[in-house]
Amino acid sequence: MTSVSETTERTRPPFWRDLAVLRVAAQVAAVVLAALVLVYLGNNLVTNTRAQGITLGFDFLDQPLGVDIQLSPITASNTILQGLIRGWINTLALVIVGLPLLTVLGVVVGVARLSSNWLVAKLAALYVEIVRNIPPLLIILFVHNVVILGLPPKNEPASPLGWFSISNFVIAGPWFDASDGAGAFWTAVAVAAVAAVFVWRRRTKVNEATGEPHHRVAYSLGLVVLVGVIAFFVLGRPLSWSLPVFKDRLVTGGIQGLGQYFSMLLALVVYTASHVAEIVRGSIQAVAKGQSEAANALALSGFQRLRFVTLPQAARIAVPPIISQYLNYTKNTSLAIGVAYAEVTLIAFQAIGNGQPAPQLILLLMVGYLIFSLTISFVLNIVNRRMQLVSR
Amino acid sequence: MFKRHGRAVALLAALTLILAACTSSDDGGSSETTAGETETTAAASSGGSVLAAVQDRGKLNCGVNNGVPGFGFVDESGEHVGFDIDYCKAVAAAVLGDADAVEYVDLDAQQRFTALQSGEIDVLIRNTTWTATRDGSEGATFLHTTFYDGQGMMVKADAGIASLDDMANTSVCVQSGTTTELNLASRFDEGGIPYTPLTFAENPQIQEAFIAGQCEGWTSDKSQLAGLRSNWPEDQGGPEALVILDETFSKEPLGPVVRDGDSQWAQIIDWITLATITAEELGIDSSNVGSFGDTESTEIRRLLGLEITGDDGATSVFDPGLGLEPGWVVDVISAVGNYGEIFDRNLGSDTPLGLTRGVNALWTDGGLLYAPPYR
Repeated sequence: MTSVSETTERTRPPFWRDLAVLRVAAQVAAVVLAALVLVYLGNNLVTNTRAQGITLGFDFLDQPLGVDIQLSPITASNTILQGLIRGWINTLALVIVGLPLLTVLGVVVGVARLSSNWLVAKLAALYVEIVRNIPPLLIILFVHNVVILGLPPKNEPASPLGWFSISNFVIAGPWFDASDGAGAFWTAVAVAAVAAVFVWRRRTKVNEATGEPHHRVAYSLGLVVLVGVIAFFVLGRPLSWSLPVFKDRLVTGGIQGLGQYFSMLLALVVYTASHVAEIVRGSIQAVAKGQSEAANALALSGFQRLRFVTLPQAARIAVPPIISQYLNYTKNTSLAIGVAYAEVTLIAFQAIGNGQPAPQLILLLMVGYLIFSLTISFVLNIVNRRMQLVSR
Repeated sequence: MFKRHGRAVALLAALTLILAACTSSDDGGSSETTAGETETTAAASSGGSVLAAVQDRGKLNCGVNNGVPGFGFVDESGEHVGFDIDYCKAVAAAVLGDADAVEYVDLDAQQRFTALQSGEIDVLIRNTTWTATRDGSEGATFLHTTFYDGQGMMVKADAGIASLDDMANTSVCVQSGTTTELNLASRFDEGGIPYTPLTFAENPQIQEAFIAGQCEGWTSDKSQLAGLRSNWPEDQGGPEALVILDETFSKEPLGPVVRDGDSQWAQIIDWITLATITAEELGIDSSNVGSFGDTESTEIRRLLGLEITGDDGATSVFDPGLGLEPGWVVDVISAVGNYGEIFDRNLGSDTPLGLTRGVNALWTDGGLLYAPPYR
């Protein structure tokens, strides 16, 4: 044992030629250099802002906002911090609704590009090639100026079926009107939804173990609907239908969104979906050809081939690049400043224009978007990990 | 073993090179800022460094607007024209002796202070309202007001709106990053008038939204609204399709802005404005500025930098010590004229804006324009 270590000692080169030492040294040097650059830049910022008489620090967040925020309870007397939080909520409203929509549109178009129907395939290709190659800001301005501003003016809204109120200012649709017991109702539905997940898993296991049809959609959906209907009547009809009504320049009732919101949503969904479509197409083509040939040999229909053979395998390849498209979508919401949708970037820039310090506000924005993006990629990476092939 | 070793060394070398490249390019970038910085900070102690920088460069970098007819606008031939633009020319005439030695930097409302702080522009003349917060925390110094404005509201003539109190449940378009949106919020919140603000970054986008009926009110400085109304497209009914409501709900003193820290440069800009006012008061304009060679008035001789003969027969030329060549006022007045001429050319009754002098008249005519004595 000792002799072995002695030989190692003897054969070890001097430290400046020792690979183990050098490797660590290279890492340390890189970290030190990076830290120096950061310190230098930070110092630069502090000296320059001090020289210009601009204060550093975040006390300004308690100052009054000074402006009202559209369709929200935030007014000029709320603080800048509250305004920024409202901005994040508005950003979130774009993200939560947009991601599912763009995924569905992207998958449909991506599959359509590979369709054997000539017209469908060419139309999908045309859409992808046009939209994918235009900067998102131009698409947003186009959608806003041509589609949304082309709707009826604010004071002459169209109301198809009497269920909607559509103008270029507000688009509103039917929604629920909550009365006493609505909270209990939603709790019951939520509990049923959780239970439905377990039912789904149980049915899947039964199916795998015995081969009997799982009917998991019918079972779980049925559970939720059943509980919902019972709760609705037991609690004395806590929800009623609320339709939007236009009167005295104002739309009341229903669920409403500003024209600006729909400009952003439509433009960004259409833009990002074109990228997702390409990812989906590429992923499907990356599935080994033998797989679909085998599916054909088993006499699966076109839909069955997609649903059970190609798409599940393509999804494994597609998820990581789609995550990065989700992040792009989230970051592109900051372009709303072009069409007056009050998301967080617009509110921060308003504050900067009104004399609040730019470095801090921009830092807050950057940190906020970082947290947003990291959360999305954290959640989706879990999904990704669960979808990957498990080698046993 | 040797091979891998060599690779590690190569990697280290490459890493160092990359980092070195990064740092040195950072150095390059920030040494510019630092240079600009020393410029501003040194100005406080030694004086005149913005002036020196402008004279070295031979061009004035003037931050302006390009979308407000009458104040700062790019005309059909691509030239900047307007009231604010004339003051950029006046500064260039006074400092460089050439009214055309101006580099116009088009800025939107949100960029303007950052451009000023970073040294990208020497002076900001872009219908900017003087407020305490801007003076105090933007690193900016506001100078003598060139135009006393106030905020108003423009609506379509057929909208059935006669006053701000008729505007419940309306949507109002406003430019973001302006005092206008602050005043809008104060006026409507205090009046208890529910409304929805739509804050756009640029006037052309507001115009699109206003035409489409997305917003019913357009609020801005009254002078701006007058300019926009005068340019209203004929297919939308021309200027008659719009009315500007009577109520003025804010004070908007507009004037030039410079960086904090160079009081000499600030004094120069101040006195250029004041000289145009004094010239109007003394009846000096661009057509007669050369004809005062033998005037008896020492006040005029001092302003125009003409020789003054003392009681003992010795002659001297008055120099207030602003750091400008004597006779700079002659350059300014021959280039852009006195205050009245600048006003009439860009905003007056012969222009599409058709504004009256109102509070922007000389103090001798009951207005607010009052220049300290030039002596």
